[in-house]
Order: sequence, then C-alpha cells, then structure tokens
Amino acid sequence: MSRPGFVLEVDDRTPPLVVHEGLGFRLENFPLGTRVVYPPESLPAVPDVDEAIREALLNPVDSEPLPELLFSGMRLTIAFDDLSIPLPTMRKPDIRGRIIEHVLTMAAEAGVDDVKLIAANALHRRMTADELKHIVGERVFRSFYPQGDLYNFDAEDRDELTHLGTTEKGEDIEISKRAAESDLLVYVNVNLVAMDGGHKSVGIGLASYKSLRHHHNAKTMVHSRSFMDHKHSAMHHSAWRMGRIIKDTVKVFQIETTLNNDVFPKPYDFLQKREWEWSVKDQATMLGMRRGLSIAPPKLKHKMFHDLRSVYGLTGINAGEVEAVHERTLEKVHAQHLVEVQGQSDVLVMGVPYLGPYNVNSSMNPILAACMGLGYYFNSYRGQPVVRKGGAVILYHPLDEGFNQLHHPSYVDFYEEVLAESTDPAVVGEKYEQQFANDPWYIHLYRTSHAYHGVHPFYMWYWIAHALDHVDEVIWVGGNRKTAARMGFRAATTLNDALEMASGTVGTSPSITYLHNPPHLLADVR
Amino acid sequence: MSLVRDGVSDVKKVARGWRWGRRGQVPRSAEPFVLPSKSTVFRSDWSRRKPAMVAREVAQKAGLEPLFRSQVRTEVQGLDILERLEGPVIFAANHASHLDTPLVLLSLPDEWRRKTAVAAAADYFFDTWWRAVGSSIVFNTFPIDRRGGSMATTPGEVLADGWSLVIFPEGTRSKDGWIGQFRMGAAFLAVEHNVPVVPVAHRGTFAAMPRGQNWPSKGRRQLTVRFGEPLYPAADEGVREFAPRIKDAVAALLDEDRTTWWESKQRAASGATPDPTGPKVAQWRRVWEQSESPVGTEGPQSRLRAWRR
Repeated sequence: MSRPGFVLEVDDRTPPLVVHEGLGFRLENFPLGTRVVYPPESLPAVPDVDEAIREALLNPVDSEPLPELLFSGMRLTIAFDDLSIPLPTMRKPDIRGRIIEHVLTMAAEAGVDDVKLIAANALHRRMTADELKHIVGERVFRSFYPQGDLYNFDAEDRDELTHLGTTEKGEDIEISKRAAESDLLVYVNVNLVAMDGGHKSVGIGLASYKSLRHHHNAKTMVHSRSFMDHKHSAMHHSAWRMGRIIKDTVKVFQIETTLNNDVFPKPYDFLQKREWEWSVKDQATMLGMRRGLSIAPPKLKHKMFHDLRSVYGLTGINAGEVEAVHERTLEKVHAQHLVEVQGQSDVLVMGVPYLGPYNVNSSMNPILAACMGLGYYFNSYRGQPVVRKGGAVILYHPLDEGFNQLHHPSYVDFYEEVLAESTDPAVVGEKYEQQFANDPWYIHLYRTSHAYHGVHPFYMWYWIAHALDHVDEVIWVGGNRKTAARMGFRAATTLNDALEMASGTVGTSPSITYLHNPPHLLADVR
Repeated sequence: MSLVRDGVSDVKKVARGWRWGRRGQVPRSAEPFVLPSKSTVFRSDWSRRKPAMVAREVAQKAGLEPLFRSQVRTEVQGLDILERLEGPVIFAANHASHLDTPLVLLSLPDEWRRKTAVAAAADYFFDTWWRAVGSSIVFNTFPIDRRGGSMATTPGEVLADGWSLVIFPEGTRSKDGWIGQFRMGAAFLAVEHNVPVVPVAHRGTFAAMPRGQNWPSKGRRQLTVRFGEPLYPAADEGVREFAPRIKDAVAALLDEDRTTWWESKQRAASGATPDPTGPKVAQWRRVWEQSESPVGTEGPQSRLRAWRR
C-alpha cells in the first residue's frame, strides 16, 4: 500500500531535509513552519507487463484492436519518445522496447513488410546508436538499425517533411513525411509527467521548427498555466489544434504508458524516503555519499549520477484514440504525482537535481538548470502557482557544470551573446530567435552531429517565461554569482542569506513552501 | 582539513537531526501518515531462566541500583504487606515516568524482586532486538501488545510460572503526572488467574523525569512509593467491577502518601478521596502542580548530608 503525498509543516521534530543541488545534495534545516510538499509513494506496478501490453493492444480505447489495423502491403511507422523521458533513464528493458516488440510481432503476423521506426526527437539532439538500442532493445535494433529503418527524426530534412495545412489560428502543421503518409502511425510514449503525451506526441515530437514556433514562444508559455495541465496550457491548446488536423490525415494509434515513482535504485533509495523514516543504514549511506561526493573529481561525480538507472514499475498502459487514451493516462499520472496544497506562499524553494530532459548523458549547463527549476519544477502545479504573484523563488544549484560542446553548441552563444543583451524571453525571442534557428552551422551540427537545434536554448528560456513573469525575485543558493547574474538572477551562500536577500520583496517572515522533488510531484494548489 | 571538518559537521548534524541514542521522532504533521509498525514477536522466556536471572542480579545490584540511588532519593512504605503474602501477585501502579519501573522493582525485598517481571509495551521496548534484550536483562520485562495483537508469551503464562507481575494499568506514561484511565488488563489477569492485586502508588517520578526527558533532573529528587493492602477479586466479581476497585485503591494510597493514613481512611469512608485524575484546570496548572517533588516524611534536611539517600 503506497501512502499519498502530503504537506509537512516543519517543526522542532523535523530532521534536516534533503535538497538536491546538481551533482550532489545538501541537508537543509528549514525555518519552523515551512511547508514541505512530499510526492505520493510509488504506486504498485502491474504484475505482468507483457500481459498488460497485449491487453492494451487487443482492447484499445475508441479504436479497433491493433491486429485489425495491420495488413499486408501497408506502410507502418512506429514513432517513440526519445531519451528525454523518463528521467532518470529506465533500467533495461525499456518499456518502449517491450511495446515495440509486441507491435512488431503483430505486424509480422499480419505480413507487414514496410516498417520504419522513428525516434520523435523534434529539435532535440540525435541519439547515438547505443542510446537508440537502449530504448528499443537489442532485438529491434538489430533488425532495423543497420538497414536504416530505425532512425532519429530530422526536422531539417526538407525532403522528408510534409505540410499538412494550418489550424484555424493560422498555425502551420509540418511533420515527418513518412509518418504523415503512413497507413498507420503507432506512437509509443512514456508519460512521465502530466505535460507529456496526447497530441503533444506526434504534433510536437515529429514536427519541424516551422510548426513548433507557433507554440514554443514566450507569449504562449506565459499563458500556459501551467504546461503540466493541458486544459489550461496555451502550448497544449495549440498542439491539440494541430493534433486534430493530423488525426484527419493519418490514422494514429497512440500507446501511452505511466510509471511509478521508483526513481532512485539502491543504494540511493534513501533519497526517496521521508527523512524521519531513514534507518541507521540510510543515514550511514547518506553520510558516506556526501563525503564521497566532496572528494570525487567532477567527472567521477558526473559518472556516478548519470550511470544511475531507475527501476520504474509500469502503473498503466492504454492504447487507441489519442484523446481518449490521454484522459486515462492522466488519471494514472495524477494518482502518482498529485498532492493537494492549500494556498500559495511568499517563497517557493526547489532543489534542482543533476538531471533534466535535455542533459541525459550530458551536462546541466546554467540555462538548463534555470529551465529545470523555473520551467519544469515551477510549473509542477495545477490550479495556481505554489508561490504568490510577486513572490520569490529560491533554487539550489551550483551553476558550475559548464556547457557540453557536442550537445549544446548554440547554448554557448546564447549565454555569451544573447543573455548579455537581455534576459527578457520576449525580447530575446523577438530579436535573436530567427538568427539562431536558421544558422546553417547549427543546422549542420543538428543534422550530422549530436547537437540540439540552434533554436533550442530559446525554448529553454521561453519555458521559464511564466515564472519570470510571476515572481519578483529569483535567488540561487550555492550558485556561481557571475553565472546567476548573467541570467538576471542573484546568488546566495545559504538559505538564510537567500531569505535575507528576498526580505525586500516578501518581508522578514515570509511563508515558505519547499517542493521535495525528485521524485516527481504535481502540486494541486487550491 | 576541510574534509574532516565538513565530515564532522555532517555527522553532528545527522546525530542531532536523527536523535542518535534516543528514540526517533516523527514531525507532528506527518504523524497521520506513519505506517503501523510491523509487530515483531520476540521470545522472552529465556529472560526468566537461571543464566538471565544471574545476569539480572548483577546488572541490578551492581549497575542499576547504585545508579538509581545516585540520581534520586526514595522513600518506601507499606512493604510489610508482602510478609503476609505469597506470590505470585500483580503489582498495579500508576505510571508517570520511566523511573517507575526501577522505583517499584528496587523498592521490593530481594526475594520478591528476583521473581517479579514487568509488562512492557511491545511497540516501545521490543521494537529492536537490542532494546528487547537490554530491557529484559535489566528490568525483566516481557512484551505485551497495547493494540491487542498476539505475543509469543502471555502474561498468564508468566503468572502461571510463579512470577509476580508489575503492570501499569494506564498503559502509557501520563502526560501531566496525573493518573489517566485504567485499562482492564490487570483486573482481567487477577480474575482469570485468581491472584491478588497489590496497589502501588508513587509520587515524584513525573517531577524527576517526565516524558521527553531521558535522564533524571539534577538534585536527587525525592520519590515516594507506597504499597497497599492486597485486593482479592470476590467470587462473583467480574473484571468490570474489580478494575475500578484497583484504581480507587491507588487513589487512596496517593492520598495517604500526601497526607496520613488516618485522614485518607476517613476521606475514603466518606467518598471524599481526591480525584487522582487531577483538577479540571488549565493544562499548565496540572503540570505545574505535578512538577513539584514530594517532601519525604524525613524531610529534606533531617539527615546528615552523608547519610541522605
């Protein structure tokens, strides 16, 4: 029986609490009265994954069973989410691979020859062969990759894109030609958090810049409140408009999966326990780990964390019509992540961990750290933000990991040149987005190397637009001062210093809420 | 150097935060979400065999008693009733502090003490093996389940083996020093096994070491303990009738300890024994009253310092 999430009120009995900060964590003594939002414990996993997959494919929602959609001579395309989810990466075998194997088994039985597998990475970096193999499994990889039938989506290959028209609001819909011209498009998703899935899968994962720019911009993001709640997210509204047109063009068979909160495997499992329930062993492991991290060189620390593979359990799988499937998926996601929080607070505290969607096997550069804290974690709410309008956000991250030149080349220029000019998402978008999006060198690196698209750092900055618009003060505890200043923020050494600095905005005795994630949570703020 | 310094600072932080050496605490707002602890059945019959009895004798005489006497002063009354009794009996006492158990045990004559076991909450004293072994060796405790679960050893079996029992019918330590509700356990055992109940009343343990304190306060506080006339369940008396008699006897003993035997008898006869649950006043006044140590009959200054215990 897993316990629900709850809001702790720090009292004299509360031990120091874990706060993640990049490649490490600290123990923080929060002021008495601080509210701490704990996610629900891991839901029980389905007992037989293969049986659950078969059941979903044979009894889909608002759709014929998958075998009835497969026929000899058809063009079948299987698209799947890239390595940006789940976080951390799932221990082998990845759920997507297991599902794809079932789909392919049915396709083989139906005599389907023309099959392509496309990683729906949109403007994300191309995955390496090993990364692809991890997701789809060795069997699928061996059967399709050498022939070129398993590949990363290329959003800059003009010959392989097709324009499906525009929405009633004039938004272009340009997606993968192969996907659009298939008899059946099977999309295999991992719905790690509430923002994933639905029409966002095909409509964004297989779309080009021409299409994405309509919702990936500062204006839309400011009106996505939050992007973890698709019914109140302007970004999702746009994706939904596009998705409905895509649906009229190509038959989409959506398969969505939900995972539980088993994020940290042993011996790191103490990080997902409630601190006052730590055993002596947990305390010893934590102390040992803190000491180890304090002497380990950065590369070793990076390896230690990034080699971590999560032992997620599958909590649900639904297949069929996109919107009907997504409704069911969200119920499961909410059951795992939702925590009721009464009212907003003056200060929101969040620890930014070592990993976000865009630095898997890479480094958490300052822009990604900002996106993780002010984008993903800030937006982990339903109803209204956890912090009040005009309040303060305190984040923990050293902001010292630097940039990965292979994966994030355009981020370097964005940081050095664009942020030096302005940190206003609307201004930088207006002034520089086109230049970065159309830069031939960035496009070349995106297509041939493993670089994120030139426009990607702008998207990160748009991701935080809602937070920047909502709060008056952002302070990084333990953050590099120069880096924080470049991004328009301030840095403090300790939480007390940060609260002191924020006192000009929120007074000397503000109400404080700390979001205790990871594991993931979604604050349902009433 | 900073590595060592940071390491020490971390260890200190954890030791303080997780209360090393003391029982862990759950933040108040998290209490509704605490999982029920798994009931672990510890066998304790070994602790009533010869080797354990020898070890206990050493531990109590060479360790517990000198330590106890060095921290508190005690005054024991009413032991003469034991001369007229043959074991086993049930000692039913009020419960206000962890000092109650050593106080009652060390007040007993040696031959009684050696054959007396203490019923202790399984979820508190038997939750880890070292706590179970430690309390069994030093206090001769055996586990009883406050929530009514099954146990490896039942109090009835201990009684049947000829051991007397110390039972605190309140089931938990008082939060303010005053007596709480008496449960039926002691009365049930007495009726079931036809053994007498010796009421025991003590004062001063709350003042010396209340809940939340893990060592007696400084200054060798005075404790008083008084053993009362044994109560026998009548032939047709049920548990529900017998249990209040035990509570009344403890209340009368407390009154006697506070005043005199004659005055308490008179008040008991007229039904005017003070309510042992305390006055219905503000909580702080209840605690305030109980936080004052009783004055022994010999008075604090009546002996030479060297002879005071």
